[in-house]
Amino acid sequence: MKRIKNIFILLVIVTLCLSVNALAQKDPVVIGLQGPLTGSAAVEGEMAKQCVETAALMVNEKGGILDGRMIEIELVDDAAQPKSGALAAMKLVSMKEVVAAIATYGSSVTQPASDIYEKFNKVNIAYGATVTELSERGLDYFFRTCGRTDTQGMFFAEEVVPYFEAERVAIMHDNTSFALGLAEEAKKFLLEAGTAELVYFDAITPGESDYTVPLTKLRETNPDLFYFTGYFSEAALIIRQAREIGIDAVFVGGDAAINEDFIRIAGLEYASGCYMTQEALIEYFTNPEAMEFKEKYQEAYGSLPSSPWSVYAGDALMVLAEAIDKTGSTDSDVIADYLKNEMEEFPSITGSIGFDEKGDRVGTGINLYVVNDDGSYSIVER
Amino acid sequence: MSLVIEQLLNGLTIGSFYALIALGYSMVYGVMKLINFAHGDLFALGSYLGYTLLVMGTAYVTSILGIWGGMIAAMLVAAIGSGVMGLLVERIAYRPIYPTGRLPAVVSALGVSIFLQNAIMVVWGARPQAYTSDVIPSNILTIGGLRINILQIIILFLSFLLMGILYYIIQKTTFGAAIRACALDRETAALMGININLIIFFIFALGPALGGTAGVMVGVYYRRISFIMGWNYGLKAFTATILGGIGNIPGAMIGGLILGVLEMLGSTYISTPYKDVFVFLVLILVLIFRPRGILGEKVAEKV
Repeated sequence: MKRIKNIFILLVIVTLCLSVNALAQKDPVVIGLQGPLTGSAAVEGEMAKQCVETAALMVNEKGGILDGRMIEIELVDDAAQPKSGALAAMKLVSMKEVVAAIATYGSSVTQPASDIYEKFNKVNIAYGATVTELSERGLDYFFRTCGRTDTQGMFFAEEVVPYFEAERVAIMHDNTSFALGLAEEAKKFLLEAGTAELVYFDAITPGESDYTVPLTKLRETNPDLFYFTGYFSEAALIIRQAREIGIDAVFVGGDAAINEDFIRIAGLEYASGCYMTQEALIEYFTNPEAMEFKEKYQEAYGSLPSSPWSVYAGDALMVLAEAIDKTGSTDSDVIADYLKNEMEEFPSITGSIGFDEKGDRVGTGINLYVVNDDGSYSIVER
Repeated sequence: MSLVIEQLLNGLTIGSFYALIALGYSMVYGVMKLINFAHGDLFALGSYLGYTLLVMGTAYVTSILGIWGGMIAAMLVAAIGSGVMGLLVERIAYRPIYPTGRLPAVVSALGVSIFLQNAIMVVWGARPQAYTSDVIPSNILTIGGLRINILQIIILFLSFLLMGILYYIIQKTTFGAAIRACALDRETAALMGININLIIFFIFALGPALGGTAGVMVGVYYRRISFIMGWNYGLKAFTATILGGIGNIPGAMIGGLILGVLEMLGSTYISTPYKDVFVFLVLILVLIFRPRGILGEKVAEKV
């Protein structure tokens, strides 16, 4: 008797499982995510994946889009290399079920990848590509949820330099298309403004450990404001070595220069008092979407994403979900048209999002942040 | 003037890292005629092992041994760990392939390099790690306008000490003579009663051990370590090996030091972004006018 009962229970469970399965059989909406899952920027790729998954969870928990269809993520790796970027994009466009792509981190990778997406008419939203020219190429399907370098360069020249009343400015980059772009925009606006003298403008080689030589040259020019536009890993070494050879100029990093890892590697004694021009940082957001995102992300991964770029990837997913849901279509032209012409002040994770004709985000909030003595940041009131 | 001295000192410091790593390439090439491309990653492994001991067990290790004692302990752990891993690599990836020739072994070495690099990423994470300043404080001495980091002096002292010991072993002891004999002609050396397996064991343990020690020094000096660092340092050290004469122990030391100083002076007086161009230009010139490297023996082709 007991045995029959057991079998009965088992049958019930199996039936239940099958029926739940049948309910979920409704086709998911697949969105591609291209990012550096391996290679030198693997940190960013890993976090972008986590952010997009968290954003997808937020949408799916509210019942998905298009009357209950769930969002699924299709991952492709571009190893942060331009060549692999194009290949990764090819892989995504060859998959019929992928509706749109979130792609990608690094301007030099985004450039070839976005050409591929354009050719195959697929909406692609970059989350970590700020080089100005990317959106000047007349592409119809290219968007970005991050800012542009020229807005940041302008912000540096017209807001930061006067704030510190600097007279002698040094700008250092690392010859990557992102850092060089930001440095040149800053230089351009600085020369236009004419309030301060540009005494140093040169590049370092990323990936090395010893920057004392270029820093010694920089020291000889005696600047009072030092703007480094490269990445955190080099920035941490540079601030340390700069202070050790006696450069006491105010240090301002670009938006890839300063994050938790910068503070950890440089050590608090050097990191505190450093400034940065930066896109919105998720820790300081209090809008409901950001609060929900932070809670879900923390629950799943135990900490918050340490770079803003990955959060913009999450934004890209929210934006795509909204566009597909509102238009009721997964057609690239319909989505692109909706994003450009109808989406205005859509409340996403990092605040309101809209797009202009070129696909650039409308409504970024670049600010000057300072690293406090306890390693936290605060926004500098100007 | 103080600028030149500062840069020379910086060049010597970075050069001594190259030299310590280059020794591993050179010793293995000397005896096995194999370029151990995994060597750079064994160096990175040493750096991470030292990091684990020092940073993760900070309070414990430094409370017993003090700051400098802790640093030495980290170097020992890194040396032993890298040495053991070097032996494992030889046993697993090279020994089964030797009979098929030298080229397959080089490919296998590249495979091991990729494997080790990714293994480090999986174990310690893709984020760069840092030897934090509470573990190793940095003290800057200012002598008459000259700024010197005390760590530089300690690192230079330690690496010259290690190189001196190795030089003594190779050049002055019977065992060293056996190693040199193997490098000259392995078959004949075996016929003379030299235990080849012992020699191979020794070089595959000692080379990576020196590399691992250099890994801790790099971590302590620059503070930032990353899982891809092995490639960059490995390439430079390999260049140093060729510059000094591959297979020649004092050549590797001198090649490393020269490379470090050239790099610093080149970037000071010529151009920072083009400093690698300058370094490799010197290498090409040396190879054209003296193909065996600075101290390399004249290579007699065996027919």
